[in-house]
Amino acid sequence: MKGFYIIVISLLLINQVTAQEKYLTKEGYISFFSHSIVEDIKADNNQVLSVVDTSSGEIAIQLLMRSFMFKKALMQEHFNENYVESYKYPKASFTGHILNFEDLDELNGITEITGTLTVHGREKEISTKVLVEMKNNELILSGNFKVDVADFDIKIPAIVENNIAKTIKVSFELRHNPYN
Amino acid sequence: MKSNQFRWILSFLLIVVISLTIMVTYYNKPHINVRETKVDYTLSTINLIEEYQQDEGATDKKYSEHVLQLEGKIFEISAQQGNSVITLKDKGSESSVICQMMAEENKKMLKLKKGDNISIKGVCTGYLLDVIMVRCILVE
Repeated sequence: MKGFYIIVISLLLINQVTAQEKYLTKEGYISFFSHSIVEDIKADNNQVLSVVDTSSGEIAIQLLMRSFMFKKALMQEHFNENYVESYKYPKASFTGHILNFEDLDELNGITEITGTLTVHGREKEISTKVLVEMKNNELILSGNFKVDVADFDIKIPAIVENNIAKTIKVSFELRHNPYN
Repeated sequence: MKSNQFRWILSFLLIVVISLTIMVTYYNKPHINVRETKVDYTLSTINLIEEYQQDEGATDKKYSEHVLQLEGKIFEISAQQGNSVITLKDKGSESSVICQMMAEENKKMLKLKKGDNISIKGVCTGYLLDVIMVRCILVE
């Protein structure tokens, strides 16, 4: 986690002269969805922190696991206490690059984003398509990708094995504002 | 003999119905009702932020998942996905406390403005660059 702060702080502080190249949101949206024959589970997080440096395409994202809101209180409790162990690993993060950022036509288009996703204290290299848009001075990144629960060493008890999908769909919509 | 068998079946069914009811109630148990829940800690936004900055790990263990009542100055009111978000921040402070309000509080936002001193009750979820609170309500 120390490394993450160094990245965020350096993204925010370095090159103060070109401050308009930094974009920040503290209210980004990330949700995940699990579909199984027994039930569908969805959780939303509206308090995602994300910083983008448009000069390099670097991006750093961080969120609190406890900020995921579930429809059912019981699911939220099991998620935090048993599966992702929020008391031990309160945060998830992603640090990476938006590829070919400078080549995007007037900053609207689809490209790839690649980097390291850390959940439950385990790291995994991921790569996914991202839609990049610039609207009303907002830098919007949106898209979705799939992750395997097993990759993050998250143990699902046998009794609820059929209730939770092995692969979870993660969706994101991050609306950044210029940071100065 | 017949009536004995009937009694067995009846009591078996009764047990099934009772356990199903318990399971469904447990499965559907409601989210914490912040308004009705006792406050675990009452403090000012400055004190909360300072504690987090001094020792994030220990402070997080102390406050996260707990109901806090915070006093502070409104820095910003915004809306997002149908909910209001109040940012509490004091002059000269880099960090703030971001409070995601319950939808039922939306109407009360109209009466508030930047710079007002208010009291907010909610559940703390932790610290990023700011302290994050969810399920918040205004304390009047």
